[in-house]
Amino acid sequence: MLETRNLDKSFGAVHVTRDVSLKLERGERRVILGPNGAGKTTLFNQLVGELTPDSGSVHLAGEDVTALPVANRARRGLSRSYQKNTLFDGLTVEENLGLAAAVHTDNATRLWHDSLTRPEVREIVDDVAEQVNLMPYLHATVSEVSYGVRRQLEVGVALATRPLVLLMDEPTSGVGPEMSKGFHELLNNLPRDLTMLIIEHDMDLAFDVADTITVLNYGEVVFDGLPEAARGSKLLKEIYLGSWEDA
Amino acid sequence: MFRHNALRYTVLVLLASGALFQAFTAEYFGLEILTEILILAILVLALDIVAGFGGMVSLCHGALMGVGAYAYALFSTKAGVAPPVAMGGAVAVTGAAAWVIGAIGSRSHGIYFIMATLAFGQMAYSYVFQSPVFGGDDGLGGISRLDLSLVGIDLTDSRSFALFCLAILGAVYGASVLILRSGLGRSLTGVMHNEQRMRALGLTVWRVKADVFGLSGMIAGLAGTLAAQHIMYISPGLLSWTVSGEALVVVILGGLGTLVGPLVGAVAFVVLKHEVSALTSYWHLVVGVILIGVVMSRANGIFGWVESHSGAWIERRLSDATRDPEPEEAVSDA
Ligand SMILES: Nc1ncnc2c1ncn2[C@@H]1O[C@H](COP(=O)(O)OP(=O)(O)O)[C@@H](O)[C@H]1O
Ligand SMILES: [Mg+2]
Repeated sequence: MLETRNLDKSFGAVHVTRDVSLKLERGERRVILGPNGAGKTTLFNQLVGELTPDSGSVHLAGEDVTALPVANRARRGLSRSYQKNTLFDGLTVEENLGLAAAVHTDNATRLWHDSLTRPEVREIVDDVAEQVNLMPYLHATVSEVSYGVRRQLEVGVALATRPLVLLMDEPTSGVGPEMSKGFHELLNNLPRDLTMLIIEHDMDLAFDVADTITVLNYGEVVFDGLPEAARGSKLLKEIYLGSWEDA
Repeated sequence: MFRHNALRYTVLVLLASGALFQAFTAEYFGLEILTEILILAILVLALDIVAGFGGMVSLCHGALMGVGAYAYALFSTKAGVAPPVAMGGAVAVTGAAAWVIGAIGSRSHGIYFIMATLAFGQMAYSYVFQSPVFGGDDGLGGISRLDLSLVGIDLTDSRSFALFCLAILGAVYGASVLILRSGLGRSLTGVMHNEQRMRALGLTVWRVKADVFGLSGMIAGLAGTLAAQHIMYISPGLLSWTVSGEALVVVILGGLGTLVGPLVGAVAFVVLKHEVSALTSYWHLVVGVILIGVVMSRANGIFGWVESHSGAWIERRLSDATRDPEPEEAVSDA
């Protein structure tokens, strides 16, 4: 469904992505682990096209999309959420979801009707609000809801484009353990055929949702396999003890 | 995103009644001022759509209005096209020009966008100024107004022309609301709030900006066709960047991104101009001081100030009415 081949990227002398090859099957839920600065977010930026890799390619549903701009990849079913909230701040939760749903349903550039009142848009907005527990906040503006709710909306907006592949960059960063746990349950309730790539900081939480695990360290894939194998991996323990403790 | 509320409806009704009253009771001079306000109001609605709801602060809307005026004049005088067709043609030409400006400017933001639009405006100005087809420095005269005698309206009469402009302003206001509430308009507001995210959702951002800038240009062009018919003579001064600057002042003075605010701003600006210039030739200075006051007050223009203060007032009244004495005692105990 989503594949990278020999992806490579440097910022000046800093080599942030080193020969990364990943392959996600349809419906696969893969968690990316790795210490701060390992290049996880930079990898996402290259997957969605916000950054151009120095070499290597990105494939979505069997097609090479490396040369396609961000919006184009998004319309082919690639959607992401950001580590740092990237929302429409002055607007309501409903409008935030509606903007995304309007793009997906091809209502975002129409002059002849209101995108927010279209039945197909309403349906997605209600569905997603239900999926990520935003129902009580639909009419509140982003600035009126708590940080935790904004984190949920961050993923909700990404979901409202009804993606084939959903990339989530530390969806629970900054929220308490309770909410974090709840969020992982919520991820488990998403449709099984949705392919997910999730950057997660907390290893235990990662095991809740992962079918497979990839570990990045200094831009390099140092582990790629099943969660059970990851648990026993010596290398992982070293990285974990080495630098995750203080993160 | 654009919403109506009780205050906005109230102000709209007040403005419309005031305009109607003026249109039916005023003498020649009053009608001239009214028509000036109405045409400016159409222009600032066009500007508010792009600046207030799309973050595209344009310094070429005066020039776009000028393009509309010149196109109308050329079509109706030199090409001998019937005035209604000339109006439609002028609106289309201005819209197309604005679409191109919007498309080219779509990649720049903030001050760079302002400068790009200024450059386009100045290009149009100097072209019109130097070209003999447009009458150069002398301008073009002998422009006729629309002939509505079929429906028994004589637009050469100042009162009828003012009412005609009022009807068009009403239609333009309605169209502006529809544009802002359409999928296109809502996406534009999304782009203003967070362009990166809209792109990540799959929106072709430059198209949305260009399309709305084009629509806004059509409205500015329409204002131009009315300005040409109003004075029945046009000169390159119409395309001068100071006209764009004044339009921007009116939008900010009234309340950016509120539609209703710029209408209030247009009334305030023209009335102030005529009242103050009767007393002193330094009327720009007075407008400047008022603008500084409005900007310093941190309110979103005159209307924005009223809106935030009336909101606070209503909230206070509501909380007074629903206040429960018990919890207050509990608080004072603690
Ligand atoms: N635009 C950029 N320019 C220069 N260096 C960058 C840029 N973006 C990220 N980096 C660097 O790349 C490295 C990886 O960053 P990032 O992908 O954000 O890590 P992670 O998400 O794994 O914490 C860091 O050292 C960071 O400083
Ligand atoms: Mg990161």
